[in-house]
Amino acid sequence: MGLFADKYPDVAYQEKERLWEQVKADPRYPSYLYGCYECGICVAACPSARFYDFSPRKIAQAAAREDIDLIYEQMNDDVWNCSQCFSCNRCPRQNSPGGVITILREVAVKNGLKSAKQALEGYSRIIYKIMGTGTQVSPDMLQPDAFPDWGPQVREVSADLELWRRALPPETLHTTSTGWQVDDKTIIELYLIWHNTGVMDMIAEVDEGLHMILNDVMEEKLEEAGYEV
Amino acid sequence: MSSDTILIIGGGPAGLEAARLIGDLGQRAVVVEKRDALGGTPIYEHYAALTHNFRDAEEAMNELIAAAKANPTVDIRLSSEVVSCSGAAGDFRVKLAKSGNPAAGANGGAGVAGEEINAGAIIVATGFQHFDPGRETQMYGYYEYDDVITLADAERMLKENKFVTPSKGTPPQRVCFIQCVGSRDRQIGNEYCSKVCCGISSKQAIEIRQQVPDCKVFIFYIDMRMYGYWENEIYWPAQEKYRVQYVKGIITEIIRKGDRLVVRGEDTTMGRPMEVPMDVVVLAVGMEPSRGTKDVAKILGLKQNKYNFIEVPHGGLDPTATSVPGIFVAGAAAGPKDLDDTMAMAGAAAMKAAALTRKLQISNFKFQNSNFKTQTPA
Repeated sequence: MGLFADKYPDVAYQEKERLWEQVKADPRYPSYLYGCYECGICVAACPSARFYDFSPRKIAQAAAREDIDLIYEQMNDDVWNCSQCFSCNRCPRQNSPGGVITILREVAVKNGLKSAKQALEGYSRIIYKIMGTGTQVSPDMLQPDAFPDWGPQVREVSADLELWRRALPPETLHTTSTGWQVDDKTIIELYLIWHNTGVMDMIAEVDEGLHMILNDVMEEKLEEAGYEV
Repeated sequence: MSSDTILIIGGGPAGLEAARLIGDLGQRAVVVEKRDALGGTPIYEHYAALTHNFRDAEEAMNELIAAAKANPTVDIRLSSEVVSCSGAAGDFRVKLAKSGNPAAGANGGAGVAGEEINAGAIIVATGFQHFDPGRETQMYGYYEYDDVITLADAERMLKENKFVTPSKGTPPQRVCFIQCVGSRDRQIGNEYCSKVCCGISSKQAIEIRQQVPDCKVFIFYIDMRMYGYWENEIYWPAQEKYRVQYVKGIITEIIRKGDRLVVRGEDTTMGRPMEVPMDVVVLAVGMEPSRGTKDVAKILGLKQNKYNFIEVPHGGLDPTATSVPGIFVAGAAAGPKDLDDTMAMAGAAAMKAAALTRKLQISNFKFQNSNFKTQTPA
């Protein structure tokens, strides 16, 4: 029982406790959280705290106090407001509230929390791109009307994308469907890493459809390279 | 003729340490103790472990007592108290009487009724007493609820290795400390910080977690004052190793709900009001001048500060001099002190007293043998 009213009374305490035990069992946890002075230096350094009702201090505090109800609340409502910039690492106790958030997010995703699915919904296209191609946002995502806030030159640039890209000196950038050309060997290695470290399982927990598409893409290439999925 | 005897009033840590050191100089010390046993508050109040090094308090005090007792130039008067004082530095005449302490007499005995001590200097080491929580202005109900206790009550249970919920006799599941009870409070009139309670609460929190591992322990505080090595020796281990929960926010009220207590306050850093059930609430009571400190100050004519501790007019650079030349003070009689400061102050007071009596004897000697006027110290 924590110090405050419980925001998720319908979720069993044992379930919250189970998730918290997973957080604590993470081998990184002991070096991410020692004890908290509640001094607020992490909040002062936090860019997200300027824009959202978000406080890395409260994350550290709740964890330090093992306030299981509050941690569950944060795992659902707060952790997705963090930009994972780790400015909070300047903590005098050498805590890493951002690191605690990393673990909280991973546990939320691995356990398929509804809030995690919602938070990541908007990212499925980007995840597909990154995990499918091994590169980040690609030039062909720059559609004429996709980003009006980027200004009128977007239309101009997107009209002749191929030409613009060929004007760039490095040959690896002469592509529009990926951020840069990715070597087959590299993409195979990335696929293997994602399969073997549990990233694919995490994707399956939050977005079944995305997992299926990615699996198809990866399976084909991996089989070509002689790997069985 | 000036006396080289040094009278020490109080047989607690400060008095015992001063006596031992004066004895080591080969000079005569007389320790007057009102109670029928030496060791002062750590013994009388059954302290468990000392803050900050966790040493067994009784064992540590017994070492001090043995050192004073074994010293051939240290005389001890138990169950005795000072009733009057005349004279000045070099030649104080101090009358003793059997103390009014009800416990006195049994194995006191060393005190001779009506004895007069001729002392060259006096060291006052009469210490403090714990604040009486019946006077607190919140609503903690110390005298109403069995399970609201003080640091001293907790020490006694911890010493016996039996920390329980007093009303039930079973180990508690949730314990909290409320800091600054009787300290830093204008309503009560004790505006000062008692210096040691943050450390003692944290030490006790660790001991509770050691003795009752399943128990959750909270400390509700205004500021944590863990200076110097108390930080890394007590505060950090309490938080990091023993997972004691420090919450900035003071409890305003303790109420009873069913067979449990509920504490009400604000978790200020979380910005939320809280109402939390507790099995045991420990009030971190501060220090006030002991009865002996107040009485002795009057008898010796020492100035007291507004809190009735003995005033130290030259503060920082001369922390043991009182308003009367030739009378020195050591330990918590001069205001809240931890044990380290008390022992250091006792050493300083012993040195000052010994130096003064020797200087006076030399100057008297010169005076008697040369007719040169020598200046007596102011």
